[in-house]
Amino acid sequence: MTFLENLPSFMLHAFTVAVVMGPLCALLGVFVTARRMAFFSDTISHSALAGIGLGFLVGLEDPTWPIVLFSLLIAGAILWLKEHTDLLTDTIMALLLSGSVAFGIIVLSLLKNRRGELHRYLFGDILSVNLDDVWLAIVLSSAIGMWLFTKLSPVALLTASEDLAHVSGVRTRWLNYAFVLVLTVVVSLSIRLLGIILVTSLVVIPPAAARNLARNLRQQLILSLIIGLIGGAVGTVASYHWDIPCGPAIVMACLAIFILSLVVGKFWLNQPTRAKSA
Amino acid sequence: MGLFSASHLTYPNSHRFLSHAYKAYNHTGADIAVSVRDLHVSLGGQSVLRGVNLHLHRGQLVALIGPNGSGKTTLLRAVVGLQKPDTGEVRLLGENNIQKALPRVGYVPQRFVPDRSFILSVREFLALRLRETQSWFWHRHRDTDDRLMADMAELGVESLLDRPIAALSGGQLQRVLIVFALLKRPELLILDEPTAGVDSPGEKTFYDLIGEIHRRRKLTVVLVSHDLSMVYRHASWVYALNGVVCCEGSPEQVMNADALKETYGLNISQHHHIGHPF
Ligand SMILES: Nc1ncnc2c1ncn2[C@@H]1O[C@H](COP(=O)(O)OP(=O)(O)OP(=O)(O)O)[C@@H](O)[C@H]1O
Ligand SMILES: [Mg+2]
Repeated sequence: MTFLENLPSFMLHAFTVAVVMGPLCALLGVFVTARRMAFFSDTISHSALAGIGLGFLVGLEDPTWPIVLFSLLIAGAILWLKEHTDLLTDTIMALLLSGSVAFGIIVLSLLKNRRGELHRYLFGDILSVNLDDVWLAIVLSSAIGMWLFTKLSPVALLTASEDLAHVSGVRTRWLNYAFVLVLTVVVSLSIRLLGIILVTSLVVIPPAAARNLARNLRQQLILSLIIGLIGGAVGTVASYHWDIPCGPAIVMACLAIFILSLVVGKFWLNQPTRAKSA
Repeated sequence: MGLFSASHLTYPNSHRFLSHAYKAYNHTGADIAVSVRDLHVSLGGQSVLRGVNLHLHRGQLVALIGPNGSGKTTLLRAVVGLQKPDTGEVRLLGENNIQKALPRVGYVPQRFVPDRSFILSVREFLALRLRETQSWFWHRHRDTDDRLMADMAELGVESLLDRPIAALSGGQLQRVLIVFALLKRPELLILDEPTAGVDSPGEKTFYDLIGEIHRRRKLTVVLVSHDLSMVYRHASWVYALNGVVCCEGSPEQVMNADALKETYGLNISQHHHIGHPF
């Protein structure tokens, strides 16, 4: 335990957030990837840039709430446009993503004293996690984690087929909204650590690595959760140790596990029932 | 009257004409499984159902026929609440609130292509139907298996339990979907082209199987079929649909060429089954 005692408090904060958000992102990610919502997650995270810009513009020092609120606004806009226009979902998201990034960059470059901060929001910074963020992450992720576990069956059924979920009594409309809400909150809370550009990788890579090893959904969920935990923990420690940006460090840790899982899955586990991707 | 309806329930086949006459007097009776009144549905600005009326009696095996694009799928989707009607009324198992009746209904959609990125096993998929609201996640496999085996064996798919649903063949998937629909002991089974993906020798046994399930479980079955010889052999009542109900009656009545021509229009020559000597 001497390792933990010698750490500065900012590192403890970052480490705590990583081991809380990592598994949660990874768990949600199993459904996000299966529902092909990775681009949605990317759009949400990029919209945070506009949130940060707006927050600074109105004089807020801490960008956490602006990020969360603006991301929710963008998520709502995506859903609304999807329902009320004939635009393709991809088009809608590309539109909002580039719009948010453009707006955020312009605001940040106009505010002369904020220019240097762009880098830390894009790639994540362990220095930027304060004690409030830690508490917010713990409270929200335990609430969301518990919600996800009680709703595991309906969410899994919804992911398999909305029609079958409906006839099995799932309120699909509300569950869809709830899922989007949860994903938005989780992604925007992970931005501090992972950075806007890389946060989606924590939603995508652990489930993909787990997919290489798992034979069913239960195994994939459990493995993904563990991989997210290890990736988050190893990444923040590496970021501290070598003084590198936190997001890339976590991504590289997850990628290393992914490559390992690919090798193990291909050469060690004999899986005759594995579906070949078409 | 009571005696009359009781006999109708027990011997639907031998009382077709009587029950038809009886139906005209009693549309809201307890022996009606599905009642649709003046249903209008339009999709993408095009009017698909233009005033459909039908009243399905309990215990019957009802076939829904009609050319491609005649609205069969749309009608069944409206019956289970997947499609919101523009105007008109649907009563399902005596309930105006479709959601309330759904636990007593099994539904197999026409098209369900499981996503290969979602590694749900057949066991998990079926378990989701058994315990949609509780968590199947922590349950031991053997408890689940006990509840699944009888239905799996009836459909001949007990060896598929550990396969991912995305790795099943079309016919295997259809059978698993029927097991899914039967698990909760429904009073009404709705099958939208159950033989899609079943090879043609298998098709006959498949319909025999459905006929047998219908008899043994004494449930009401509604199925869409393009195979008119099957309709003739198993159905106790037939609806021919083309935007509206063109004709209804016993297979003998509906199969006469005039009535069918009305339904199928110029498509009639494409359906070689019509030439069969019934
Ligand atoms: N989502 C949709 N948007 C617009 N039009 C649709 C949509 N779904 C179906 N339609 C149209 O509604 C009509 C009826 O479709 P439906 O699927 O109910 O036909 P069907 O009788 O089941 O045909 P099939 O025998 O091919 O299954 C078709 O003309 C189809 O083009
Ligand atoms: Mg159809």
